[in-house]
Amino acid sequence: MSILIRYSVASIWRSLRLLSVLASWFSSSTINVFNTLIRNLPLDVTRRLQVSSKGFEFMADAIEVAGLTKYYNDFLAVDHISFEIKQGEIFGFLGPNGAGKTTTTKMITGQTKPTSGTLTVAGKDVIRQSVEAKKFIGVVPENSNVYDEMSAWDNLIFAAQLYRVPREKRENKAKELLELFGLYERRKDRASVFSKGMKRRLTIAAALIQTPSILFLDEPTSGLDIQSSRLIRNLIKDLNKTGVTIFLTTHYIEEADQLCQRIAIINKGKIIAIDNPEKLKASVEKHQVIEISFDKPSDIERKLRSIESIEKIVQFGDKFRVNVRNTSEAVCLLSDFSKENGLKIVSMNTLSPTLEDVFVELTGLSTDIMKTEKEQGKKAANLG
Amino acid sequence: MAKSWTDSLIKAFYIALKDAKVYYFKAPNFTFGLLIPVSLFLAFSFAGKINPVLIVAGLSSLAMLFGTTSIEAVAVVLERQTGTFDRLLVAPVSLFTIILGKTIAGFFFGLILAGVTIFPLAVFAGVTVMNPVLAIVAIAFASMAFSALGIITSVYAKWVPDAQMYANFLRFPMAFLSGTFVALETYPLQLQVVARFLPLTYSVEALRSCISSSGVTVLYLIDLAALFLFTVVFLFLATLILKKRLA
Repeated sequence: MSILIRYSVASIWRSLRLLSVLASWFSSSTINVFNTLIRNLPLDVTRRLQVSSKGFEFMADAIEVAGLTKYYNDFLAVDHISFEIKQGEIFGFLGPNGAGKTTTTKMITGQTKPTSGTLTVAGKDVIRQSVEAKKFIGVVPENSNVYDEMSAWDNLIFAAQLYRVPREKRENKAKELLELFGLYERRKDRASVFSKGMKRRLTIAAALIQTPSILFLDEPTSGLDIQSSRLIRNLIKDLNKTGVTIFLTTHYIEEADQLCQRIAIINKGKIIAIDNPEKLKASVEKHQVIEISFDKPSDIERKLRSIESIEKIVQFGDKFRVNVRNTSEAVCLLSDFSKENGLKIVSMNTLSPTLEDVFVELTGLSTDIMKTEKEQGKKAANLG
Repeated sequence: MAKSWTDSLIKAFYIALKDAKVYYFKAPNFTFGLLIPVSLFLAFSFAGKINPVLIVAGLSSLAMLFGTTSIEAVAVVLERQTGTFDRLLVAPVSLFTIILGKTIAGFFFGLILAGVTIFPLAVFAGVTVMNPVLAIVAIAFASMAFSALGIITSVYAKWVPDAQMYANFLRFPMAFLSGTFVALETYPLQLQVVARFLPLTYSVEALRSCISSSGVTVLYLIDLAALFLFTVVFLFLATLILKKRLA
């Protein structure tokens, strides 16, 4: 038996070595096809395997965080958090104000040092090889931070120079990005005359000038008009299609739900949930919700309370949202209720929990409060 | 190793160019750099006769000190306040490179400021600069040291007004204790010892040396070495303070 296992292992190893040699002869398009095939195999290990012209190699996770902790004097801002983000993933980072989101992002992007813990970005140790790790990242902070005194063009060129992007390449890329963000016509204007949305777009363009493999976006659409927000969301999707890993911090929970493949929720410095949005929603699906409206809405709430399986009733306009223990049983009971009371059901829908419900359940905070706090914080910062 | 240093120097140069373009090379900055030294000169010259060699060396050094430290004092703290400093922090650039880049920008500013001071002033005071090349070299060394000193105040301060206050705290005593308008030899011994710990002393001394002598003297070389040492110490100190501030 052991001989058989040894023989199988040796055969697999020889096959891989042979493929490695062959890979060096393949064109880049063939290598891409190989990589797609490998990543789609139903094995976790193969998702980290990559073929290159050098042969087979294991890809590091885009971001690996282990036991990350940050104290500001005696205040514990981030408390031993650990997570990994795979290459090509859109990862959402949610949490109320002061939960530790910004501190975590600052540690991962090498802007501040952790008190303890390890973190790697694109396989590079951020603490020991900070400069090397930063070559792979682009960062869009919460507040646009372009140089007001410089033109849009000069802002991008300066950003590219810090990454040592060759002259011709940086000029082509700057042109391409300014066109993409609708700023090319205004390239010679100083950023100080730009609107908030234009500055935001320029900040994102500056983060993309060196073609990063990991992009950190902190509230990228906050305070923007619908058109600019849509442009940025589409850009995030398009970038992700090209293999860019996205680390998205946002207080727009619907945005995270639409864009992210996985989400971490941080509260009081600790990660309290991490999973894909649908699994997170399923985790709070203890109560099922039915939304119902009748043709005659008078005095219905009181009567509905008499139905045994209903736990909670909330009225929204002409609709009632009822929490029930068992949906199928409740649907029958509500149907009987309408007949008994001479009412006609106008609409009846079963509602799944939203990501917002997950957030509220886990953090105990209302998302409205979070949004208000955020806006107030921004106003205070602007006044300051 | 050499490649990494070249990479750092090139990036520092880009940072310097950006700073020069954005903040430094504006008329009010030059005016401020010249205003205080000229005022001091006028105050001293009305008070009594001053050695013209001292005037030229002292005034040029003061123009550099006040000019570079004024603009360097805000170089980091202003960017930290506006949030643009984060652009540098997330780029693949070490803290030392950022400090070096900002110091280089101040260095060029000081160089120009001293240039527009020393030669016209020499003509005005009837002094011949015996070796202009050595004078330019001395100005370069001094400008770098003063610029690095200004950066220390900037990384230490949390707000722009604090930075200017710290800069004043350093440069005003220095202006009177470094033999700027009065020969150092006339000072009491204790003050002469204190003067040896101030970079302005070496700047004045080196410039005096190349105004009065055409050759390279031992004193001139010692002055350059001292200015270089101050630069290195200030740069590392500024990097350490910045690292601590960001922790």
